[in-house]
Amino acid sequence: MATARPVVSIYNFENPSEKTGTMPMPVVLQSPLRPDLVREVHRDMAKNKRQAYAVKPKAGYDTAAESWCTGRAVARIPRAPGGGTHRAGQAAFGNQARGGGMFNPTTIWRRWHRRVNVTKKRHAVACALAASALPPLVMARGHKINQVAELPLVVSDGIQSLTKTKQAKEALKKLGCGEELQKVIDSKSIRAGQGKARNRRYVKRLGPLVIYNEDNGITRAMRNIPGVECAHVDRLNLLRLAPGGSFGRFVIFTEGAFKKLSDIYGTLKSGAPKKKGYTLPRAAMANADLARIINSTEVQSVLRPKMERYTHGIKRNALKSKELMEELNPGSTERRAVHLKSSQKGTPEYDEVQKKKKARIEESKKYNKEHKKGDETFYKTLMKAFEAKAAADAAKKAAEKADDEEDEE
Amino acid sequence: MHNDETIWACLGENGFCSFKVRWKEPKQDFCRNPYNVNGLCNKMSCPLANSQYATIIEEEGINYLYMKTVERAHSPKNLWERVKLSRNFLQALEQISKHLEFWPDRVINRCKQRLTKMRQMLIRMRKLSLKGGTKLVPIKKKTEKREATRELKAESAAKVDLAIERELLERLKQGTYGDIYNFPKKNFDSVMEKEDEEQELQDEDESDMEFVEDLGEDDEEWEDIDNKVEEVEVEGDLGMNDLEEVSLPARKKRRGKVEVEYEHEIDTR
Repeated sequence: MATARPVVSIYNFENPSEKTGTMPMPVVLQSPLRPDLVREVHRDMAKNKRQAYAVKPKAGYDTAAESWCTGRAVARIPRAPGGGTHRAGQAAFGNQARGGGMFNPTTIWRRWHRRVNVTKKRHAVACALAASALPPLVMARGHKINQVAELPLVVSDGIQSLTKTKQAKEALKKLGCGEELQKVIDSKSIRAGQGKARNRRYVKRLGPLVIYNEDNGITRAMRNIPGVECAHVDRLNLLRLAPGGSFGRFVIFTEGAFKKLSDIYGTLKSGAPKKKGYTLPRAAMANADLARIINSTEVQSVLRPKMERYTHGIKRNALKSKELMEELNPGSTERRAVHLKSSQKGTPEYDEVQKKKKARIEESKKYNKEHKKGDETFYKTLMKAFEAKAAADAAKKAAEKADDEEDEE
Repeated sequence: MHNDETIWACLGENGFCSFKVRWKEPKQDFCRNPYNVNGLCNKMSCPLANSQYATIIEEEGINYLYMKTVERAHSPKNLWERVKLSRNFLQALEQISKHLEFWPDRVINRCKQRLTKMRQMLIRMRKLSLKGGTKLVPIKKKTEKREATRELKAESAAKVDLAIERELLERLKQGTYGDIYNFPKKNFDSVMEKEDEEQELQDEDESDMEFVEDLGEDDEEWEDIDNKVEEVEVEGDLGMNDLEEVSLPARKKRRGKVEVEYEHEIDTR
């Protein structure tokens, strides 16, 4: 079911049960959802903060080793020169040697960073923002927002002036983020892997991202609350909006920031005022509810009636199944019945058959009497043919004999 | 926007959802969302991807019908509307039919099935709580082994049999059993002799010591005798020596009431 919610309530940060006003939803938050795009852009953007690592360029090759070549009853691998020490004569260079370099040494000129098209990056941010406005996506990402009054959560500007962490924490709790903050605290654990020894000892879940317009203390108030991050509307980072490449971060907007979204991104028609040459992404389908489209009157009215599928039962053999035979060859049952009856003495069918037979025989006899006489009888005809053939054979033989005699001579 | 299809596309088969649990063998996806009707992960059962959804949830023994509609889709706090279901099964079914009157049949059926399941679960829970479960305690192999070995060692160190024997003989000597038991005389005597031997040996030692002290003679002279005495002791004769003359009150004490007479052989070697 598609819903378009044009209006968002603004909550009083001191008393979140009351709403101080409403605001139309910026078009950014209605951008099409493109998880694939966000994942791709995040993947590339995340590579940009990397620091190079490599083995020393001379690693494993800082010896004057040379191969002893053949004739010395040793393998031909380069060996360390000199004498008087264990090292002398030991294999050097090569990944297989002890103290030798590695295969394919890691280098600093590896391509660490990736460039992403600006439009692509902006689309990704727009998409991530849109995802943050949908409760199912935020829940699916793992945030506990069951007590949050509304999504997107917009809070009055007063929250930007908070200076004390205690106040900030209370404000967040009142807004329904208590469960979320607790989740972060509970999730703190020692990192698995070497990171724990590399100044990355603890890991914890991420909490809400507070997007503000004017920093009158909010960053400093919020920064010590575990899990909470702050961001300025003008500088929204995909890496924070879609951590790990999965969009749907729990975002809290301040009133000013929410208003500014429309100023920055504009609409599909107007383009983005603050981003030169950029227009928000357009959905491939205006209405993505396939089921609704297919079942709509517009579509259904133009369809031809549904084809009745012929479902084949078990194939029947007409020679075995009398019913099927009758279907295919109407009258066959009757004929068969008659045929059966005709061999039973006494029935009219039998009499009929006999009558016909008699007539046939009579006919034949009559014909024979008329036509087959004298030389026309069967025997005579047969012998005639035989004699003809015999004569022909004899003539052939005589001819052959004559030829043979000729040949002999 | 908030379109069920697009949301399912983001969450479903090829997407990511934190509630999804994928099994490879057998190939099955489950949903850990508490509002899911049947616990499976598919488009029809996903509470996130369906803006109109209904479930039965059990809280402290009471079943509630939870419903959500599109109209409240934007507000997670007010998303679910719940109706307390009657404890009477048939009435509860009717309640479901009434509240979900214009909903698709499948949804109604699924809710009713879930209600049945919940009720049966509650019945089972009540039965189990009456039984009083057995607490399972794990067996620690290492500890068990260790304790068993120690037990054996302690048992052999205690020498229970000997202690029992001694105790019984004590009691016998003291006469606690009186004349209840009839022992075959031979065995009885042999045991008593053994007992006495032990005592005598002990006594002998003592007597040696006493003798030396009492008479205050040179050790040299008596060394031989000591040796002799020792020899005699070793041979196992009933203590026969000059030394016998020395009566030791200790010995008598030990003997107690049982009187055994010794033959005194006066042989000094």
